[in-house]
Amino acid sequence: MSGWIGRKLEMAALVLVIIAVVAAPLSGSRLLVYYFTITALYASVVIALNLLLGLAGQVSFAQTTFMAIGGYGTALMTVRLGLNPWLATLLAMLLATLAAFVIGRPLLRLRGHYLSMATFALALGTYSFVTAAMGLTNGGIGISGIPPLEIGDVSFAEPRTFYILSWIFCALVLAGYMLLAESHVGRAWRALATGQDIASTLGIDVPGLKLMAFVLAAIVASVVGSLYVEFTSFVGPDLYDINIILSLFFMLFVGGRGSTVGPIIGAGIVVIVPQLMSGLERYQNLIFFVILLLLLLIRPAGLLGRMRESVPLTALLPGWLRVTREGGTA
Amino acid sequence: MPTQVGVEAAADLLQVEQVCVHYGKIVALKPTSFAVARGSLVLVLGPNGAGKTTLLKALAGSIALRSGHVVLAGKDIGGVPAHQRVKYGIALVPEGRGRLPGLSVKENLDLGWHAAPPSRRGSYATGLEEVLTLFPPLRERLNQDCSTLSGGEMQMLAIARALLAKPTVLLLDEPSLGLAPKAIARVYAALAQLNAAGLAMVLVEQKAVPLPARRETTIVLQNGSVVFQQNRRPSGDELAALYLGERAA
Repeated sequence: MSGWIGRKLEMAALVLVIIAVVAAPLSGSRLLVYYFTITALYASVVIALNLLLGLAGQVSFAQTTFMAIGGYGTALMTVRLGLNPWLATLLAMLLATLAAFVIGRPLLRLRGHYLSMATFALALGTYSFVTAAMGLTNGGIGISGIPPLEIGDVSFAEPRTFYILSWIFCALVLAGYMLLAESHVGRAWRALATGQDIASTLGIDVPGLKLMAFVLAAIVASVVGSLYVEFTSFVGPDLYDINIILSLFFMLFVGGRGSTVGPIIGAGIVVIVPQLMSGLERYQNLIFFVILLLLLLIRPAGLLGRMRESVPLTALLPGWLRVTREGGTA
Repeated sequence: MPTQVGVEAAADLLQVEQVCVHYGKIVALKPTSFAVARGSLVLVLGPNGAGKTTLLKALAGSIALRSGHVVLAGKDIGGVPAHQRVKYGIALVPEGRGRLPGLSVKENLDLGWHAAPPSRRGSYATGLEEVLTLFPPLRERLNQDCSTLSGGEMQMLAIARALLAKPTVLLLDEPSLGLAPKAIARVYAALAQLNAAGLAMVLVEQKAVPLPARRETTIVLQNGSVVFQQNRRPSGDELAALYLGERAA
């Protein structure tokens, strides 16, 4: 029964997303189109993170590293080597796939927090590296002049065409997630997330499937990294700093781990809500994080997460303030 | 007077030869040998910490052997990883009933069916119908999250899931643990039916079980070594002496 309610909620959220995505360009607001574009890109990374964390139960902080491989890889191959941006995107993706194999294979054989610890170090190291490697990355100055994607006469430098491209990509990632989640592989991921030993006695290749989820998440992150810099024509270390990783996790946890449309809703909230508070300037972050914390206290499983984990708002009050229905204090 | 063919048919399905398991420097299971014939029952008894679960895990591949061989249908599978052993015909019903919270009863059964090698898998509908006939309470719960099941129902699900993997040898780790007497009776009635139908079993329990078998071996483990191994069950007094005797020695 709760599954049915969950499905209705997901459907409603999907309809809402589709309406918003169609309506945003019609509103004529260039700013709204810009933020929705950024939402589509981050949502794609978060859907991939959801596959890894929400389905397969693996906590990895490596998403920004693979985004950096996509972003810097594309920048270097187009600006320095003069390659076509499509080709650069593809080559960067192959590089990210290879990196994911090399990093993931040894780490995913281990249990416990090794993956989280190692990928967290990797994320910090990525930021330090792209800042420090002046010769390669231009350090804090970054690399500008990255050419946009083009198909014939259509240039994706134009915000509206790129808007369509980014949402098509997001839709493809979502479709891929849905297909996998409903397949035997999706079931196997959910099984190994809660019981590795049980999963392996059921014929599930635990290290192999964990690696598959890790590599798929890396591929999506890399392509998003490429698309992002091809849209803004610039790459710099700030795109991959620790705030971005935290934001990705917030997007997932606010939207709902293991839910289908949740990552898009979560990405939308984390990208757009701070912009609505632009008058508050200095307190913007503080207020935003308080809102997020409250949301997670009330709905620990996220907006589209499972209902049974939701907590009534009154549970947040101290005991002496909580009035039960009988009139006494709880 | 068995003929040559008869000998072939009665040949041991699973041979456990001098299997030994260490956890670091601690010896969890000293060299243990026994054979499991087609349709027979090997009952492994022993107190907590005797090495019973270790033995099953070694057979299922969840832990590595220190030495010895696990030979299934003539093939040494001692080095085969756990997830591939299922394909050879070994299925484990783990300790604690193998709960996978978040997965529905049906998804659990789907996983079991997928674990069977395609050559033996058969149709999904037939396999599902077989286990639901064996365990009718699961039928009404197919779409429920398995964490909402009672202990008895979860044990039935764990066995049903393992059966769908079409094992030739079923390993069971304390299926009666923590269950109400009624549930134990129900689970054991099903196991008796399966064993009678020719499914070989290695069954781990702490105390004697209500499972009649035509061919059986009872092994009693104590501190990682075999202290009793015969084709009959020890009496209650014998078992008490075995459990206590070794400790006193």
